[in-house]
Amino acid sequence: MLDIRGLSKSFGGVKAIHDVTFDFPDGSLTAVIGPNGAGKSTFFNLITGALTPDAGEILLNGVDLAGRSPPEIVRQGIGRAFQVASIFRSLTVQETLLAAVGADQRRGGVLHRRFPLAETRDRAEYVMELLGLANKRHRTAAMLSHGDQKLLDIALALVLDPKVLLLDEPTAGMGPEERWRMIDKVRELWDRQKITVVFIEHDMDIVFKIAPLIVVLCYGRILATGTPDEIRNNGVVIDAYLGTEHGAAP
Amino acid sequence: MTELQAARAADSLSAPRLEAGSKRLRYLDLLVALAAFAVLALLPLVSDSKALLDFVIRCSAYGLFATSLNLLVGYTGMISFGHGMFFGLGAYGYGLIMQRIGVPIPLAFLATLAITAVVATIIGAICVRLKEIYFAFVTLAFQMLIHSTILSWSSFTGGDQGLRGGIPRPPFLGIDLSNHVHLYLASCVLLVLGLLAMRQIAASPFGYTLRMIRDNPMRASFIGIDVWRAKLTVFVLAALFASTGGMVMALFVSGAYPEFAYWTISGEGIFINMLGGVATFLGPMVGTVLLLILNDTVTRFTEYHGIVLGVVILFFAIGLRKGLMDFVVEWYTQRRDRASGQG
Amino acid sequence: MDAWTFARPSSARRNGNDTLDLDALASCFTSSACLVTQTTSGLIIGMLLFLVAVGLTLIFGVLKVVNFSHGAFYMFGAYFAMTSYQLTGSFALAMLCGAAGTAILGLIFERVFMSRVYGADVLMQLLVCYAFVLIFDDVVRLIWGPEFRSMGMPTAFQVVPLFIAGGVVPPYYLLLIGVALAAAIVLGVGLARTRIGKVIRAAAYNPSMVSALGINTGLIYGGVFAIGGLLAGLAGALAAPVRSLTPGMGFSVLIESFIVTVIGGMGSILGALIGALLLGLIRSFGSLGFPLFTEGLMYLFMVIVLVSRPSGLFGKEVA
Repeated sequence: MLDIRGLSKSFGGVKAIHDVTFDFPDGSLTAVIGPNGAGKSTFFNLITGALTPDAGEILLNGVDLAGRSPPEIVRQGIGRAFQVASIFRSLTVQETLLAAVGADQRRGGVLHRRFPLAETRDRAEYVMELLGLANKRHRTAAMLSHGDQKLLDIALALVLDPKVLLLDEPTAGMGPEERWRMIDKVRELWDRQKITVVFIEHDMDIVFKIAPLIVVLCYGRILATGTPDEIRNNGVVIDAYLGTEHGAAP
Repeated sequence: MTELQAARAADSLSAPRLEAGSKRLRYLDLLVALAAFAVLALLPLVSDSKALLDFVIRCSAYGLFATSLNLLVGYTGMISFGHGMFFGLGAYGYGLIMQRIGVPIPLAFLATLAITAVVATIIGAICVRLKEIYFAFVTLAFQMLIHSTILSWSSFTGGDQGLRGGIPRPPFLGIDLSNHVHLYLASCVLLVLGLLAMRQIAASPFGYTLRMIRDNPMRASFIGIDVWRAKLTVFVLAALFASTGGMVMALFVSGAYPEFAYWTISGEGIFINMLGGVATFLGPMVGTVLLLILNDTVTRFTEYHGIVLGVVILFFAIGLRKGLMDFVVEWYTQRRDRASGQG
Repeated sequence: MDAWTFARPSSARRNGNDTLDLDALASCFTSSACLVTQTTSGLIIGMLLFLVAVGLTLIFGVLKVVNFSHGAFYMFGAYFAMTSYQLTGSFALAMLCGAAGTAILGLIFERVFMSRVYGADVLMQLLVCYAFVLIFDDVVRLIWGPEFRSMGMPTAFQVVPLFIAGGVVPPYYLLLIGVALAAAIVLGVGLARTRIGKVIRAAAYNPSMVSALGINTGLIYGGVFAIGGLLAGLAGALAAPVRSLTPGMGFSVLIESFIVTVIGGMGSILGALIGALLLGLIRSFGSLGFPLFTEGLMYLFMVIVLVSRPSGLFGKEVA
């Protein structure tokens, strides 16, 4: 279980994340929402070690990860996909995943054998099947469609067999139809993997439909947490956030 | 236990197929290497031109150096503008050990590699954390430091005169490097072995770690790769092969000169990579042969070969925007993609 | 090869292979004459380095390109000055020719060649510059010959040196420091106060914003190269009377300027000034205490700065 306790980070006096405390239960699917600049991405950057917290604890099954480097945190079991697909442009889908598994097995420094290593195959194969990339395995990442690049990014996080998977706007930059397909994929992989998934999402319809648990961030603080129904009826949230945006949507 | 963990633990029925494929590639490499060596070894029997053999020896020295630079530039995206320092270090290290201590050649060889590894680790530890242009120039600065040390420490290095008076070539294991054909064969062996070793590095899991770092270092660290360590490792490995190239050069000219450690060696190395192309393993080798032919031709006609070389570089950098082999490979893959797109 | 031999007083070489001569350094610190001499010599090295480095750092700040061929501007400045001095006998005209000639050269170089490789990877930019280092050196060899040349001290400055606190200071040194300082002030004020200076600073901050404002970025880029060329050419012209001229003289200056920008922080003009002066003093005093390791001292200093502050003393923090 991922426990965030009193997490804080400021940039030159601006409190990007202020005293955030929240427990993500094992196997939960949680959406993090909030207006632009609420600190959602900063929140992810702190958990994954891209930024160092000023204060607070990030406990994964009781081990504090705050202040550790990204590679260390990944090895502890927190995987991450990015808002803008972060992939290896010149490698094929299959090479990317085989190499990632190799790195996770601490065989990324092996010199005396040839790539790919046989023992990396099953995990890569499984994740390619799970995310529907198997038929594109020989495509170079740079040549993939936007949606497939996002899927490859998620596959890269997933293939490391994380305990917690953080998805930063998995549907960013997608058309309405593609969005739903992507979010179904996310839901499906959560169902099948039984891991803790936390994702950032702007589209309220999507959030209310698929996320059993919602965290609302606003100006770096947690404004509210709860089920979709609780959030929908939370006066504070409606005032501060949904009131403006939801009014526009039907 | 998640399905993923289950998949990891479970069957590996189809695994041997994958391993077999990469094994076959390794045998193919060996075969190509043997064939290349056979051709080179037959050369002295076919032609008695000393100039031709000399040309191949120089290709060995520069080829080892340029290919090792490509491990940094092409595979890892680290543009070192000071890689030539290890070429110079190899030449001077080997020359000094042979002149001053006079040990058997293989021992001097290994000792030079050890020295190179230590120096490269120290310099690399400082440089590899720097990005792009900083890395390029700080490596260049270290190159200049080594060059100026060689120049000013004349009691040890011979200053601007270099190591003169010849480097002893005591016979070992029936090999007599003062014999021109023996020297030729030894350089060919070093070239082929060096290329095979670098090929293995490029095709190993570590080689793919390097590619990931080149493409996206941030993402690489987010899948658990220690980027700094990997970069330092390849920096030292590449230095070892560059040093080997320098030793071949020192063996060939039976001396070592400050020019071996001057920055232009690094510049030429970068240009060779550009000329041949960085996307294929043998690109730098092709570039080496091209540059040496170009150099030899140009110097025969004019003493201003800097101008000619400069114009050629401009043609590749601004006109073609890529190396020769890269150009060919791109053309080939585009054709293939178009063909498969239709099929 | 080493155009900066002048920075090592011949006395420092007297002891042959002593790598360490701390006595000489210590005794210098107790003698005001020696202090004055070494300090002025450090200052002129520093000011010349500053003029070259500030162009390098300005070009990098605005274009994000390290002009690897920047040393060639310095070299051309010196040769232009020498030739025009020999032709006209006017020192002022020689300075003008050195500076203006290289400014035009910089403009052409940027517009015709460098502008084609913006946005290409660093390798291409380095290669284009590398090509020009080779070409320019050979052009100089072709026009002025491969041997060492010297411009000679202009007659106006062939006067009795000044004695300040017992130290010998040639008047030309004072002129050199004064001109370089004036150039630094004009540049600083120009960037801070004038419209074009503000545009340049804006371009360094955000190039797309400047083009969005309808300002011709090509003009700005060419202008920045021209200014960089002008300053480097001025440095070369100022150095011509006190340095020997040789093809390739630009390269060691380039390396040292780069060290200056690394120490001061890429893109920072104040950093370039401080870095250049520090380096000049290190060279001048280092040549006393560590005659064989003077250059090594600079690299050592650079390494210390890089390890403790990777973005330089005045550089912006790299996230």
